[in-house]
Amino acid sequence: MESQYKTIHPAKYLRDHFASNIRPDGREFMSFRPVSVCVGSITKADGSALVKIGNTTVVCGIKAELACPKAESPDCGFIVPNVELAPLSSPKFRPGPPSEESQCISKLIEKILINSEAIDLKSLCIHKDKLAWVLYCDIISLDYDGSVIDACTTSLMAALKILTLPTVDYTPETGSIKIDKKNRIHIPLKQLAICTTFAIFDNQLLITDPTEDEEKHSLSTINIVFNEDDMCFVHKSGGIPVSQNLFSTCIIKAKNHGNQVRKLILAAVNCKT
Amino acid sequence: MEAKAEKIVMPGDIIKDTQLLNKKQKIILGPGLRTDGETVYACKAGILKHRSNVFYVDNFQKRYIPSQGENVVGIVTQKAGDIYKVDIGASEQASLSYLAFEGSSKKNRPNIQIGDIVYAKLLVASKDMEPEIVCVDSFGKKGKLGVLSTNGMLFTCSLSLVRKILKPNCPLLRLLSDELKYELAVGINGKIWIKSKTSVEDTIAVANAILAAEYTVPSEFPQLCDSIMKSLVKLK
Amino acid sequence: MTENEYSLRFLNCELNYLSVTDGSAIFMQGDTAVIAGVYGPVESKLHKMFYNKANVEASFRPMKGPPSVNDRLMESYIKDVCEASLITSLYPASSISVNIQELEDCGGLLASVINASCLALINSGLAMKFIFAAVCCMIDKESENVIIDPNMKQLNNAKAAFTCVFDNLNKDIICCQTSGRFTEKELLKSIEMCRETVQTIFTFYRDIVTKYATAI
Repeated sequence: MESQYKTIHPAKYLRDHFASNIRPDGREFMSFRPVSVCVGSITKADGSALVKIGNTTVVCGIKAELACPKAESPDCGFIVPNVELAPLSSPKFRPGPPSEESQCISKLIEKILINSEAIDLKSLCIHKDKLAWVLYCDIISLDYDGSVIDACTTSLMAALKILTLPTVDYTPETGSIKIDKKNRIHIPLKQLAICTTFAIFDNQLLITDPTEDEEKHSLSTINIVFNEDDMCFVHKSGGIPVSQNLFSTCIIKAKNHGNQVRKLILAAVNCKT
Repeated sequence: MEAKAEKIVMPGDIIKDTQLLNKKQKIILGPGLRTDGETVYACKAGILKHRSNVFYVDNFQKRYIPSQGENVVGIVTQKAGDIYKVDIGASEQASLSYLAFEGSSKKNRPNIQIGDIVYAKLLVASKDMEPEIVCVDSFGKKGKLGVLSTNGMLFTCSLSLVRKILKPNCPLLRLLSDELKYELAVGINGKIWIKSKTSVEDTIAVANAILAAEYTVPSEFPQLCDSIMKSLVKLK
Repeated sequence: MTENEYSLRFLNCELNYLSVTDGSAIFMQGDTAVIAGVYGPVESKLHKMFYNKANVEASFRPMKGPPSVNDRLMESYIKDVCEASLITSLYPASSISVNIQELEDCGGLLASVINASCLALINSGLAMKFIFAAVCCMIDKESENVIIDPNMKQLNNAKAAFTCVFDNLNKDIICCQTSGRFTEKELLKSIEMCRETVQTIFTFYRDIVTKYATAI
């Protein structure tokens, strides 16, 4: 009976749950789904992580390549995050070129990464104006069930944390490059940025960590990203206006949740190394 | 923000004037106003007008939103079986049945070609349905409606301009008719058809006079007509 | 707080700037200039049609070159803010498109783009629940002061920059975008200052509409 009701009146189904102070998956409004992090899941990649938030599953693999730095910033390497919303993860995605949504998420992840100053691009440079690392961070959604930006950020941060790069011996005079794949080094990760998603419904009802169904029927979503001791990104792209009080509530909640997830990543990384 | 009649309102302003009226009296809200519970909000930016118990917002607009009973000018764009498709400048083309003409029947179809201009009345207009127009009144008489002759001129202007020149006390068309002989069909959808009895120059002069009226206050219409007539004399 | 800290750069606007669009505006905030044009409601493509509301689309064209991936985020801000303010249920099965052309970016581009699109929507006569206005502000790297509506030169010294969009009903936050690193206190203080300033823009909107309404 319940599944028919959900199919016919998806919005009302959600509202009825909210009216009795519960969410369809049995959570309270301000509770989160369990998060699990598995690092180093792709052995061929230089750094990788698989993150699950409830059903939402995202995998991130980092591939390092060598390139010549840009003329305007000769002592910096590059990080290129790319989010792919695979058709496997949800019926609403089709194969083919990246959709507008995945382009937006890629761009958001890139902004989060730059704003958080997690990685000093200068540490990716091997020789000024000649050689630097390019980190291609491919993030692929395997199961799309809401709060995908949270999962993407977490997986990217975990993968960067475990990332090791081969040592390179570069002689500028001859231009010869010697790569020692055995002897690998860590790139210092200065910050672990953690994103938290909130959804807002009628009468300024706030819920944390929405699922896909909740996100679809919500009137607006807010993403708040916390570093260890400061904030680095707040994103609300539109939708229903929210009061400042609600905003402050989100910030406090996001800070607490961020600390928990950060501990989790560190624990996962420590287990591995 | 609160607003009073004859004042500028912006979308989201609360309209307080409606509360001044007697509680028992019915209030009619025209275009540009909406209610949320007991409160009345403006949803368009313009001048709030108030006549006894009728309130509306007079705003600038170019895109036509069909409304039942309005007279419009449209261009026939397609013949599809029993109906013609007519472009009236709305988001969707209006349909015009071949039976919606005076004296037409299944055997006696009106002679209408693609590209013809019709002056018609909106029979059905709702946001969820395709608009339907007719060229007869409820008695089956055509009145002033019907196909407009092909040697006239059609031009488009803003909806607020059309409303301005159609006001009963607007002197513009009367002033122009003192000097020139012309036929005119004004559609509330911002399309105006003009045909002068005498010459092409006169037609264009009338069109220019109407377009110039957009940014002219009614008291300056005589001067406007004078200057148009002077330039016309020079041409001849 | 001196009055100067709450002041915006010089605002200038011309409505109905383009002849073909259903509503348009050219908007200048300091030296940042954009043109916005709105079409709608127009017939919608079948695969993008909603039976119960209008489909809102936004397109942003940078000053030079074709739009790139970087502009997608800008488009999503424009689209989501416009969609929030429009009463889309009045125009079912149709499409409303908001088109923005950047002319000059001297800081606070997103804020100018949002303000220009609001003016174009006002000019188009589409039904709206509320109007919106954006204010950009930044935190200076050295002095840690909040500067409202900074120009490009000031932005180069920014520790963090925020763009906030407010409605005119309760001055609630519709949209918020940040860059750089900052503390919670700094964010909340900046939002508060933006909120204090936003009334200037709403007054500017009203003045512009008054000017045009009396002329017509």
